[in-house]
Amino acid sequence: MRKHLFWVILLLAGLCQQAWAQDRSISGKITDRNNGQGLPGVTIIVKGMPTVGTSTNADGVFSLSVPSTATSLVFSFVGYATQEAPITGSNTINLALATDTKQLNEVVVTALNVERSRNSLAYSATQIDGSEVTQARNPSAVNGLSGKVAGLAITQSNTLGGSSNVVIRGSKSLFGNNQALFVIDGVPISNANTNSNAQQTGGSGYDYGNAASDINPDDIATTTVLKGAAATALYGERAANGVILITTKKGRKGLNVTVNSGITAGRIDKSTFIKYQKQYGAGYGEYFNDDNGTPVAPTADDASYGIKFDPTLNVLQWDAYTPGSPNFGKATPWVAAANDPSTFFKTSVSTLNSITIDGGNDQGNFKIGYTNNVERGVIPNSKVIKDILNFSAALNLTPKLTTSATVNFSRTSGLGRYGTGYGSENLMTNFRQWWQTNVDIKEQENAYNYANQNATWNLASPETGNNAAIYWNNPYFVRYQNYENDTRYRTFGNVVATYKATDWFNVLGRVTLDSYDEMQEERAALGSTTASYPSYYSRYNRTYREINYDLIGNFKKDINENFSFQGLIGANMRRQYIKSIFASTNGGLALPNLYALTNTVSPLIAPTETDVSIGVDGLFANATFGYRNRVFLDLTARRDKSTTLILANNTFIYPSVSLGYVFSEGLRDIAPWVSYGKVRANYAEVGQGANPLSLYDYYIQSPALGAAAIARLPLTKNNQDLVPERTRSGEVGIETAFLNSRVGLEATYYQQNTINQIIPLRVSTASGYSARYVNSGEVRNRGIEITGFVVPVQTENFTWRLSANWTRNRNEVLSLFNGVDNIVLATYQGGISSNATVGQAFGSLRGSDYTYLNGQKVVNASGTAYVMTNSSAVIGNPNPNWRGGVTNTLTYKGLALTFLVDVRQGGQVFSLDRYYGLAGGLQPETAGLNDLGNPSRDAVTNTAASGGIILPGVKADGTPNTTRVANDASGLYGYGANPNAGFVYDASFVKLREASLGYTFPSTLTNRFGFVKGVTLSIVGRNLWIIHKNLPDADPEEGLSSGNLGQGYQSGSYPLTRTLGANLRLSF
Amino acid sequence: MKKAIVFSLSTLLLATGCVDKLTEYNVDIKNPAAVPGVSLFSNAERTLTRTVVSTSVNLNPFRLYVQYWAQTSYPQESRYDINTRQLNRAFWDALYTGSLSNLNEAKKLIPNNQFASAAVQKNQQACVEILAVYTWKTLVDTYGNIPYSEALDFNNAQPKYDDAKTIYASLFTRLDAALAALDPSAAGMGSADIFYNGNVASWIKFGNSLKLRMALTIADDDAAKAATAATQAAPKVFTQVSDKAQLQFVSAPPNTNPLWEDLVQSGRYDFIGASPFVNQLNALNDPRRASYFKTGPGGGYVGAPYGALNKYGDFSAPGSRLEDPTLPGVLLSYSEVEFLLAEAVERGIAVGGTATSHYNAAVTASIQEAGGSSADAATYLAQPSVAYATATGTYKQKIGIQKWIALYDQPVVAWTEWRRLDSPSLVKPTRAVSEIPLRLPYPSTELSLNGANREAAAAAIGGDRVTTRIFWDKF
Repeated sequence: MRKHLFWVILLLAGLCQQAWAQDRSISGKITDRNNGQGLPGVTIIVKGMPTVGTSTNADGVFSLSVPSTATSLVFSFVGYATQEAPITGSNTINLALATDTKQLNEVVVTALNVERSRNSLAYSATQIDGSEVTQARNPSAVNGLSGKVAGLAITQSNTLGGSSNVVIRGSKSLFGNNQALFVIDGVPISNANTNSNAQQTGGSGYDYGNAASDINPDDIATTTVLKGAAATALYGERAANGVILITTKKGRKGLNVTVNSGITAGRIDKSTFIKYQKQYGAGYGEYFNDDNGTPVAPTADDASYGIKFDPTLNVLQWDAYTPGSPNFGKATPWVAAANDPSTFFKTSVSTLNSITIDGGNDQGNFKIGYTNNVERGVIPNSKVIKDILNFSAALNLTPKLTTSATVNFSRTSGLGRYGTGYGSENLMTNFRQWWQTNVDIKEQENAYNYANQNATWNLASPETGNNAAIYWNNPYFVRYQNYENDTRYRTFGNVVATYKATDWFNVLGRVTLDSYDEMQEERAALGSTTASYPSYYSRYNRTYREINYDLIGNFKKDINENFSFQGLIGANMRRQYIKSIFASTNGGLALPNLYALTNTVSPLIAPTETDVSIGVDGLFANATFGYRNRVFLDLTARRDKSTTLILANNTFIYPSVSLGYVFSEGLRDIAPWVSYGKVRANYAEVGQGANPLSLYDYYIQSPALGAAAIARLPLTKNNQDLVPERTRSGEVGIETAFLNSRVGLEATYYQQNTINQIIPLRVSTASGYSARYVNSGEVRNRGIEITGFVVPVQTENFTWRLSANWTRNRNEVLSLFNGVDNIVLATYQGGISSNATVGQAFGSLRGSDYTYLNGQKVVNASGTAYVMTNSSAVIGNPNPNWRGGVTNTLTYKGLALTFLVDVRQGGQVFSLDRYYGLAGGLQPETAGLNDLGNPSRDAVTNTAASGGIILPGVKADGTPNTTRVANDASGLYGYGANPNAGFVYDASFVKLREASLGYTFPSTLTNRFGFVKGVTLSIVGRNLWIIHKNLPDADPEEGLSSGNLGQGYQSGSYPLTRTLGANLRLSF
Repeated sequence: MKKAIVFSLSTLLLATGCVDKLTEYNVDIKNPAAVPGVSLFSNAERTLTRTVVSTSVNLNPFRLYVQYWAQTSYPQESRYDINTRQLNRAFWDALYTGSLSNLNEAKKLIPNNQFASAAVQKNQQACVEILAVYTWKTLVDTYGNIPYSEALDFNNAQPKYDDAKTIYASLFTRLDAALAALDPSAAGMGSADIFYNGNVASWIKFGNSLKLRMALTIADDDAAKAATAATQAAPKVFTQVSDKAQLQFVSAPPNTNPLWEDLVQSGRYDFIGASPFVNQLNALNDPRRASYFKTGPGGGYVGAPYGALNKYGDFSAPGSRLEDPTLPGVLLSYSEVEFLLAEAVERGIAVGGTATSHYNAAVTASIQEAGGSSADAATYLAQPSVAYATATGTYKQKIGIQKWIALYDQPVVAWTEWRRLDSPSLVKPTRAVSEIPLRLPYPSTELSLNGANREAAAAAIGGDRVTTRIFWDKF
């Protein structure tokens, strides 16, 4: 069958070569290949005669009178690939235009926003159409890219508005930034997060998200992912991590109004939340306390290894001590909670509405857009509101001088973002690690609502009158009283002037600004548990400014018929200013419900300030030589001078060279079924500067003790001799398309070695410091990226398109520092650490492991625990073997169905949730039957009716372990008895990431409303189904924060939210 | 056209010249580039004291190891789990980077102070040295061989480990030099000295008391050296309760006694008296009970089984004296000095007095420190089970028991003295993951960052295990 198809297509292609020559009228209908609908406004000209042309009407229909000499028509439309159709015997030409990204001769936005034909690119650059990002109405433009680009790994978090880790081609820098640089219309946008180090390493905190989420997805025209160093070399010092270039929409001709209105609702995916045993209640042991003869549940015990449930047993539980509770003073039956913590989650509701008005004529164009996005989370009292206003305009002042400006203003305000990591503000830590199965969530809610007090289940000692919260608060009190709130006001934009000196030279001057001010307020109300910290209010203010001045001269000239030249020379001046101030109350809050710094028990400790300025000046040049539109040689060089290094060391040159050969040009006649073919190879060196303030040493002041001023050395020794990190990158690739671009394949192999790593090298603290900045170490990333598409079915009404991408990145630490073969990157609760180890992948997890004898786990002499190694055994690698994504798009007339399956294979994750949860007896496996068929929690009697467990394994002498031991708290299943390695899981997943079903109403219907140009209604779903995973009770993708830290470590992880929504798009 | 190119190129050149002039860009304007050397000494006093008096399960497990206290719901540290919280690393880091590296820096900065006379600077350097010796001794007593001669040099990321006994010898020399340098007629650290407010005479007593402690620490290993040092030090040691070296904490965080942070501020109820200790107090009808513990249910003092999961309400909690944020943190007490002198007499070292007189003075001082009267002490000492003449056991056992009771506020020293005197006899709990630690293993960071040297040290001391004895721990 496939062979047949091939010949038929070949034959058709041959037939089309014939051209007729006579003066006549040609008409037809131009449709969108994706949905079969007529495309209004398509420009049609006769090839070689730019003055002879027309455009399609509202239905996509055109009619054009052409001279007899005309051989073909050229169809072009914004956002679609320009297509050529030969004029044949027929007077009708019907054509389905494909969107830009699928075509290989498209114009691609490259570094510094230079537009180049894809033909001339000798490096991998993936361009994604804006509509693909917004297909599933993801409010985050970053997350909307997930699974769609080979080599781009986006790890989303399940918190509301949390940060996303965006890494291209693997982590390169051990301690530096590995996040891709975002550039919007030439404005570099920081994707940094301001999460605390503690938050990122699993301590208590909030994930405030990263700043690239301030981009309005509906304003994106195209996104280009520049992956390798050759593609990004013009960015010099900040090019090492790849660049995500976003081009926003421009005003179109006429006046256009587009409105998007959507609502989505979400529920947690219960396969990513803990399941509880329902047989035993609160306690670290099988006991009750006593209140004048009445049994009292051990409310202070945050575990469920207590007495077996028995409805006939009446026990004073937490609510017996909660004034206002209907059970106040009453003993109630000892039963499992009717509502476990999974009922704590609500339906999340989000709205995303946007309006764009644009217009233009020959003199210029403009665009105004407004987006409002309100997201409410799955846990109570959580929302993030985003308002984004954007404006852009371009004006042709004279035929030679064009000016344009864009400004994007956004306000993001969060309230009650989810607490993360290990702490009482993260209820997942509570629910997954330290819970009592007899506590009913609904009763906790009611109890909170009586008086808005901390009516916690975790009372210290109610039987003796101590009703303070010992470790955990009432979950509703946490959400409604201990909330955080934050705002970020951000302005970014540019002013550009282009002077076209001649037809082959123009000068572009550009000033860009990214500026934001953020404030984060956190609090723990009076009455909260003080186990980790007393009640507090803290405030963090940070301002960020980045200004870039660019001056770029562009050359473009065909030297002769065979040789073409395109080039640029330019300069960039970058200035960044970051200031912050943080203050917190000291020793607790003096008065309730007042969140001000003055409301402090002990005198306020002076706020902590930071003030950092960075300046980098760059000079750069680029030249692209083309030979017969087949061979392209691309050379770039950039010289950066940075203030983060001392004067003698601060100038660096970053070069690149790329070569591409479009072999299909020569195959036109021999193999016309080859629609496109190009091979390419390149080499580049790019860099990453030192962190500011890593050169000179300073002391740190602490609050005075009595009359003594206190100062100390910092723990990190700075180094004046630092030079930038350098990434040497090479890649080879092939791009092909066959059978009229019905099938395409692109493959790239790359290797990147990052040398001279700037490392705050952990040193033996016996040296007096815990770290010292050095340039040392090498990390290699090599991998394969494959992108392919096939259009198996393409008829007038029905199209099925399948595109897929696959990435395999192998990361290896090649060297570190003289004699050092391991550097600890971060340490986490539980004795786990992230490491860079020579010969291993970045971020390998270390902790204690089992010891083995003949492949069997060794149990200790008393049979109560496994014999463990020390905590430096390598127990996991968080890096996946490969990632892939498959997108299917099916269109039938006005109906379009798209779904994306996202796959991650391999990589591992450590679960602190299970490490503690199993020790506390929360999961069903801690309360099952033993090998004798008896309840394992029954007493060990060593009779046939005995409870207890025999740990599987062998004794020190190699004989099987036969010692039956009691299954009690902190005992056999969790930490204590098992090493860290017992809680490392495979992090693979297969997810149905996005699905959307859209219907575009036929124009025959919408035309009745006159001014309406188009109506599209879509139903969208995200994270609908985890088709496969191996991590119990959690989402393998969930992490703590973006950044290098915390990868492969889960503590208090949030369940995945499945969302389903509807969106209406109207254009006028 | 040409103009445009010329203009743009010249602008380019201009633009890239800017960074050269921006030297102020990489300057931290929010942190000091220079500080007085004595402020680093203050920091060392604070960090050292907080480290040795803390009861944080992430830092200092020694109140548990000597079975003063048991834990309630989370008994891992009582079962000698060191890996999970890596407290061996925290303890090591606090002493090296918190105390020693700041003392080292203070030593470098003190000569910069043009306003202090040479005599004052000499006194200041001697105080720095005494505190350094105290810290080094604590490290050696905890880990055995440690990086010493090559330590505190940032150019050497992998300092070699020195033999513990050799370090002790060096510490004696350094301490002697410091004591010789101290001149009471000149000023010392002034208000930067949180222990003695700059009183040089007090530092002479503190230094000699420390020397006495060091002498007896090595007495089982090197009796001659111990005798020499003890004899030299004895005339100049503490002579009254108020001589003791302690840091006065204040009521406002972050300078509170860390005990208060863990026992009160946290709102947690993690610690209760352990039965071996409480039973001992009960058996001796000890007047310090009311200070050391609260009463348990039923009004008596009830200790919990050590190493088990315990219910807080069933047992005696640490006493309310320990719940005061301003409770001083003790580094060396008069009571301890008298116990050392008693032991010295028993070992035949000529320090004056009799074992009984020193023993009585030691116990009396301890009872007074705990708020008791001299009458309480007399009554207590009159009991045959307490009186030195009639109490059971060898001198080590007799002194060991009473010293154990007296060192309640000094858990690190208590652990050392228990190892050295082998009294009281303590038993590991059933779910212990190891024997009772006789040392802490080297931190995991040394394993990865200073591997070869740590390996050599482990081999030299007979294995990096909790059961490996420090060189002075002969029995």
